[in-house]
Amino acid sequence: MNLIKAEFLKLFYPRRTYGILLAAIAISVLGAAFTPYALSKIGSGMAMPLTNAAAIDSVYSKALAGYIFAVIIGVLTVTSEFNNHTAIATYLAAPKRWQPMLAKIIVAAIGGALLNLVATLVGMGSAAYALTFYPEAVAPASNVWLDFSLVALLTGAVLSLIGVGIGALIRNQNAAVSISFVWLFLIDRILAVLFVDVGKYLPTGLVTSLMNLKFNYTGPVVSVNTGDYLEPWPATGLLVAYGAVFVLAALLTTNRRDID
Amino acid sequence: MTSIVFQDLHKQYGKFQAVDGLSANIEAGRITGFLGPNGAGKSTALRCLLGLATPTSGSALLDGKKYTQLSHPSREVGAVLDTSGFNRSLTGRQNLKIMCAAGGINTDRIAPLLEMVELTPAANKRTKGYSLGMRQRLSLAAALLGDPQILVLDEPANGLDPIGIAWLRQMLRDLANQGKTILVSSHQLAEMQHTVDDVLIINQGKLIADGPIAQVTQGRSLEDTFLSLVGAGK
Repeated sequence: MNLIKAEFLKLFYPRRTYGILLAAIAISVLGAAFTPYALSKIGSGMAMPLTNAAAIDSVYSKALAGYIFAVIIGVLTVTSEFNNHTAIATYLAAPKRWQPMLAKIIVAAIGGALLNLVATLVGMGSAAYALTFYPEAVAPASNVWLDFSLVALLTGAVLSLIGVGIGALIRNQNAAVSISFVWLFLIDRILAVLFVDVGKYLPTGLVTSLMNLKFNYTGPVVSVNTGDYLEPWPATGLLVAYGAVFVLAALLTTNRRDID
Repeated sequence: MTSIVFQDLHKQYGKFQAVDGLSANIEAGRITGFLGPNGAGKSTALRCLLGLATPTSGSALLDGKKYTQLSHPSREVGAVLDTSGFNRSLTGRQNLKIMCAAGGINTDRIAPLLEMVELTPAANKRTKGYSLGMRQRLSLAAALLGDPQILVLDEPANGLDPIGIAWLRQMLRDLANQGKTILVSSHQLAEMQHTVDDVLIINQGKLIADGPIAQVTQGRSLEDTFLSLVGAGK
């Protein structure tokens, strides 16, 4: 419990944590608030008018866009120790190295889940507000507030654990954060849309699966059929498995390396 | 009473032998200076002692145990290894609170220690604004948080002004008089001569002299003795 308390202090003392939360909220709000406007303009051409309940679900789904910042929380939980040279103090207090790493894993999972939940709730609030400007908008097809909140908690926790693993493998903070951003913002999203056969097994595809969205859009450049993605439960299992692999990697690398 | 024991300690990085068969005993209630030129293996030996690096062979024990076997490490051993080892975006007090939490130490210890190291006025300032001397004082406060019986200090006088050095010397003497074991590595030989009771001198990873300072120096200055032992003497 001492180590968990210490890790919570390390997470909540720095202003940086609140900056990351604001960034996650900003990206969630932007995505969720802008999508009704986009769909009102081009949604009919995509068979996604705001009169379609599935389209409304997709509007609310944009509120989960902040999940990448859960990964960053996980990365920083580990790399900031090496960036600030506080790893020595941490491992002097708890020389059995799996113990502080386990504390980091627990705190990163809770922190990532909370961050993603808050960003998602604010994002969904902004989506609900934005939709009031479109009288034609119908009610969502599913209980988006409850369903997406649960998805936010799960994805925030697991993606933060993946971040812990990345941070343990790549101790250089700038490199670890940059690689995470480029992968999740760019490569993962491109694969999820353009190469669904691969992308559906990667984080963005799995998050899409978890939201259980139902739409089929065929366009001139890209086509998206959510039926191509995994069902929610297999996606949950695979996402949790990714988290477990990265947690294992974090524990193993921490036990083997000398502390500089 | 022997408190710290190095037993044929070896540490190798690739082909480089950083510590080469170090064996020494360090007594409680005394201040032991750990001396050697840059790259001699002092910091590596201390890291092995504190469980931060794994010895290639041999051992380094504290009261008969490896550091990793101590049940309450922060309350048994205090260490200063890296004065930059604080989160720069946090205040001195916040950094100490985190260390208290990790070590299971009551935060009531923080205020008197900050007073003792004369950092109370700067306690609520972020450590990125601290001078080297202030970080050194904060490191000492951190090492003393758990009121440990053993102190391992790597260059504790770095960045301290003459008043700070005199303060450090007196503090170490007071702690040794309380029966604590103090192992201090330093390059400041003139200062060490006035501070330590015993010395260990290593060069290229090997122990080349150890014992009470008077016995090792034989009437010469510590600096002259050191320079002649490491082959750079007059």
